[in-house]
Amino acid sequence: MNPNVNGQLQRDWGWWIAVYLFLGGIGAGAYTIAAVNWYLGDTVSASTAVGLWIGFPALLIGSIFLLVDLGTPTRAVLAGMKPSTSWIARGFWIISVFMVLALLHLILYAFGSVGQTAGGRVILNLVAAAGIVCAVATMAYTGILLGASKGIPFWRTGAVPVVFVISALVTGHFTIMLIALFYPGVTAEAIQVMSLEAAALVVLEVLAILFFLQAAFKTPDPRESALRILRRRSFVIGYLILGLAVPFVAMLIVYRSTGMTQLDGRVVIVAAGALLGLAGGLILRQSILVCGALPTLNIAGFEFRRIARPKDPKPGIGQLPPR
Amino acid sequence: MNQTQSLGTGQPSLLELSMPRYGMVIDLKRCYGCYACVMACKVKNHTPPGVFWSRILKGEAGTYPNVVRQALPVLCMQCDEPSCLEVCPTGATMKLDNGIVIVDKDKCMGCKYCMMACPYGARYSVDKWESYFPDGLPLSPYEEFAKRAWEEKSGVGVATKCDFCRDRIAEGRDPACVEACPAKARTFGDLDDPDSEVSILIKKYRGEVLNPEFGNKPKVYYLAPR
Repeated sequence: MNPNVNGQLQRDWGWWIAVYLFLGGIGAGAYTIAAVNWYLGDTVSASTAVGLWIGFPALLIGSIFLLVDLGTPTRAVLAGMKPSTSWIARGFWIISVFMVLALLHLILYAFGSVGQTAGGRVILNLVAAAGIVCAVATMAYTGILLGASKGIPFWRTGAVPVVFVISALVTGHFTIMLIALFYPGVTAEAIQVMSLEAAALVVLEVLAILFFLQAAFKTPDPRESALRILRRRSFVIGYLILGLAVPFVAMLIVYRSTGMTQLDGRVVIVAAGALLGLAGGLILRQSILVCGALPTLNIAGFEFRRIARPKDPKPGIGQLPPR
Repeated sequence: MNQTQSLGTGQPSLLELSMPRYGMVIDLKRCYGCYACVMACKVKNHTPPGVFWSRILKGEAGTYPNVVRQALPVLCMQCDEPSCLEVCPTGATMKLDNGIVIVDKDKCMGCKYCMMACPYGARYSVDKWESYFPDGLPLSPYEEFAKRAWEEKSGVGVATKCDFCRDRIAEGRDPACVEACPAKARTFGDLDDPDSEVSILIKKYRGEVLNPEFGNKPKVYYLAPR
């Protein structure tokens, strides 16, 4: 092993938390895009309708993943007790309020005739405005949750919330596109507009990731994590190449194409690009989590890097311990 | 509240609430990394496999051929400004008036956020109590006792950590790691008392804390190895 990369990695937050952050990001990102579209005059109606349908269920399923990861899920109701200092407690309230607003917005939009009257439109606008604030807070929260962890220097940077917010918008947008392909009445033009938006968001995400990694390389402990993340095949191939580069090219191809109909081969390109982008978003979060290394302890010129905690597999009956 | 019942169960006792501010001094010149403190902690607290409230890290300094190795005993630093307490969403982590940071196992929901927040890596959580022996063997009487004791005091699915052996302190004894150290590298006492041994050692030998830049104000001080 490279002597520069030997710090102890945290092993306590893994896939469950990664999926929670991922689905939370999708829900908040999709809702933000839908609600902003609503404000802009509902120009791409498929985007608005699908986005509103995604917000609440994604958050609900994401919260279930968090519950499963808890050591004592029956006490989850206590999670909001200390919002004055704890970001988990703040997140509990932010997500709870957001889920209520997302559900309310969805009900008003999909099942009511509220939006057809002037007064109803005002109510919908108010709900959407509050929903957008909570959605942005949710996207930022998924990054700030990590950024507030003093024990993991790799996460402790302002770049993490930026990456998570942009990635939430990207994954939310890809989810909208994927479902919009099956949305009745969606037009080829709408898909092309969405493709251009997706490509622009991917460019933003690339810039954010570069900023994040560049910041990490400036100090020793985050540098170890950055080296580790860049050595992960899943990160380089699964996220950087398949999760960012390929979807970007796919979206550009779809945007540049003309005469697209809903069922031709380019729909497959959209679906493949969106699916890869979504997988990339999950890999990004999981990689950032599992590459979080504990800080090096030092005193009087000595450096104490914490090597992995001893957790050898137990020998079977009559077997010698593993060497 | 009955003091003997409350000690070790996560609830602060009246006696503890009126106690001084406890801290520890570890003389690195004396420590030779024998792991007696690690074992004493395990025996006293019945910690399951993979849980080390008291640990020894090995570090090095200098460049070849002038290189020195050094052992560094680490435990919960019982910080004056603990980041674990700050991030705990349920209020399960508390700091007693005597400075000891504890986890109320009946309030902890096991989110592990405190484990991410502690820069010293002093917290642990286990999903189930495990035997040290191969799976399939029945628990020995000691293991049955250890399992019961662990579940009563710390529990599974919650955060656990060193509490300076506060049940022993209440009996007027030193923490198990201090008592077990054959080199007498560890000293325990009241940091607020200028005449206590810990205060004198810190003042005389300019005791320092690990990574003061973390800003947690630990109450475990180290005397430099050279």
